[in-house]
Amino acid sequence: MSAAAGGAAAKGNRAAGLAVRTVGFPRMHKEAGERRVFLPEFVGAVARSGVDVLLEDGYGEELSLPARNYRERDPGQIRFVDRQAVLQAQLVVVLRAPERDEFELLNQGTCLLSMLHFPTRSWRVAELVRRGVSAVAMDQITNDDGVRLVENLAAVAWNGAETAFDLLERTLPGLRRPDGEPLSVLVLGSGAIGRRAVDAAVKFGNLDRRMLLMAERHPGVTCTSLGRAVTSNEPAMHRLLSQCDILVDATQRTDASQPVVLNSWLAWLPSHAVIADLSVDPYLPDDDPPVVRAVEGIPRGNLDHFVFEPNDPAWSNSIPPGIPTENRRHVVSCYSWPGIYPEKCMRHYGRQLLPIVKTLVTVGHDSLSPEGDLVQRATYRGTLRAYLDGSTPRERMSRTASTGTGGDE
Amino acid sequence: MTIGLPRMHREAGERRDFLPAFVSRLGKLGLTVVLEEGYGSGMGFTAEEYGRNGNARFARVDECYRQDLVLVLRYPDEEYVRLMSRDSCLITMAHFPTRPGRVASLRAGGQEVLSLDGVVDDTGRRVVENLRAVGWSGLEVAFDVLETSYARFAHADRDPVRVTVLGAGAVGGHAVHAAINYGRVERRRRLAGAGVAGVIVSVLDYDVTGIARILESLLAQTDILVDATRRAEQSRVVVPNASVGLLPGHAVLVDLSVDPYDCNLDPPAVKAIEGMPQGNLDRYVMPPSDPAWDEVPACVPTRERRTAVSCYSWPGIHPRDCMEVYGKQVLTLIRVLSEAGGVQGVKADGTFFHRAISRALLSRWRAGS
Repeated sequence: MSAAAGGAAAKGNRAAGLAVRTVGFPRMHKEAGERRVFLPEFVGAVARSGVDVLLEDGYGEELSLPARNYRERDPGQIRFVDRQAVLQAQLVVVLRAPERDEFELLNQGTCLLSMLHFPTRSWRVAELVRRGVSAVAMDQITNDDGVRLVENLAAVAWNGAETAFDLLERTLPGLRRPDGEPLSVLVLGSGAIGRRAVDAAVKFGNLDRRMLLMAERHPGVTCTSLGRAVTSNEPAMHRLLSQCDILVDATQRTDASQPVVLNSWLAWLPSHAVIADLSVDPYLPDDDPPVVRAVEGIPRGNLDHFVFEPNDPAWSNSIPPGIPTENRRHVVSCYSWPGIYPEKCMRHYGRQLLPIVKTLVTVGHDSLSPEGDLVQRATYRGTLRAYLDGSTPRERMSRTASTGTGGDE
Repeated sequence: MTIGLPRMHREAGERRDFLPAFVSRLGKLGLTVVLEEGYGSGMGFTAEEYGRNGNARFARVDECYRQDLVLVLRYPDEEYVRLMSRDSCLITMAHFPTRPGRVASLRAGGQEVLSLDGVVDDTGRRVVENLRAVGWSGLEVAFDVLETSYARFAHADRDPVRVTVLGAGAVGGHAVHAAINYGRVERRRRLAGAGVAGVIVSVLDYDVTGIARILESLLAQTDILVDATRRAEQSRVVVPNASVGLLPGHAVLVDLSVDPYDCNLDPPAVKAIEGMPQGNLDRYVMPPSDPAWDEVPACVPTRERRTAVSCYSWPGIHPRDCMEVYGKQVLTLIRVLSEAGGVQGVKADGTFFHRAISRALLSRWRAGS
């Protein structure tokens, strides 16, 4: 038997019994600052399940990872090919969903595993159905208690808070208020991100900074968390905002057509104040009713541009006309907060996704059962099939998902 | 494989046992289940409800502890552990890191233990936990008390209720969420519907510089003070007893950390809110006149008092809800153990759950790991 034939036979044996033979990993081309790719350790672990792994040409360059770092994990199973070939694999794994026009490249019967946000992306659902593409939304893979299994909400909160404190160090030197009081952080929303934001805020967004400042006898941080009953109370908000050094939007609104903090209220904030946008809801002026941001009149950022001075052109060129923007403060906003630290982020997602990818490889999308083991049940809940037949509780998702992503892509 | 489910021989208010549906699922895994006589009766379940599908039988407590696996949520008294065979495995909340004496004793006896609080995934997240119930149950009880002690609680023109939370970790985070909802969503809806101002929650890291000064200005306007700290030094008081006197008379102290007092240590171990009595499922609301305040060890000042709510087992306040959560989480572990042929078959480099379980086995656990 020739070496090639032997290799093919070995490959056939390895793949025997698997529902999926090829797994594709496309790159993410959203913005230049998007440097995230799955790490070699994760890709290697997927390859060791016996599948052929197709990586898009240049995969890993974003993180200065040479191709050999991937190939050496399993030379017989890992190949670099063009994007089109990657998207035609039986299972396509990519953190951020492909662009609308790229759906054309997906084969009927392909399974796309990505952050798909079905409840708030109706066009995507329609396109997947039209093309007969199976899909599993990472953001909707939940355990029996409804807890998301693929999430990086801690990174949303910590990266957002860290960036906000970095900026505050510039607007408020030494992070010391003139009155000698503790810094005051106001967190809107007490859901999963809001809770983590509180934890990050009282620690200055960074444990090293906290240690340093504590050694210098800094008076610390007081974090205040509010619900809707208070945010609608204008006199109370006046008192709170006028003392606030960092305002954090971690809201998950039931009604995205109404702001929580009016632009006129931003005038009450001290001039050094920083607004940290963790919700990253969009402006959708053409929706009925139009969707506005929780903090009215602030720009939305991405991995290329997530720090906004009050005179940044983004205030005028990215916010739809009709949205008041007269009152401005420094803003930090990023559609993909975890991507600020791409390697750490992808190590985290890799750990969470490995059992799910292995389940899809061995069981296959079509055979996923809501009665299977824990990982299979959770993965099933993330399928487009479960979403369409109502197995996934839409009401809960649409209520909590708001219109953004929670910045956790 | 057999599994024993003894009752928790604790305070009378400890009513929790795993639910009949959980026991039924154990049977479907092929396990023979031995339940202690009276199992489930604290929550009103009958023997028939547990025995319906024939895989479960009732026996005396000592027989329960002689099965291949023994599952009991709270760590049992040593006399029960000594009944176990060395080949068996005790599955319980054993808290290895904070119970060095227990670890030493179990190791000396060669007993294998799977500590439910130590089952963590590859990112360090606990697989078996009910921290949400700690935060929500504690705040629910606190607001129940405040609703009766604070005359203006439901007045439409009152200022927002002020809650101060010490500690911003996982429990503190749930406490914040619960506080904003008055400890119960229905209560928030009722009050919001009546136009009553909401809740403002202030959160402090417990070891910030000059916390005494910061607290003094906060305490005078705090209606509920919550201890959700996880202190590295158990001897360090965060709110001295004298400062408790700064709180309004109607204020409520909430103990979610339930750290113990120990005057035998040097320096003594104390609660973060000095003087706060420790509660349990029999007694978790303690007004200033409650004897529990006088039972606080003598090395701890208790002169300044407010109504305190404290419970060693907060999730047990709602036993059915609690055991439904734990049942789902634990069942997966039992399934893995069953498929592996017992703990000996658990692979440290195996599947997700093998790895998670492996980290929590006493035989593989090392302090600081």
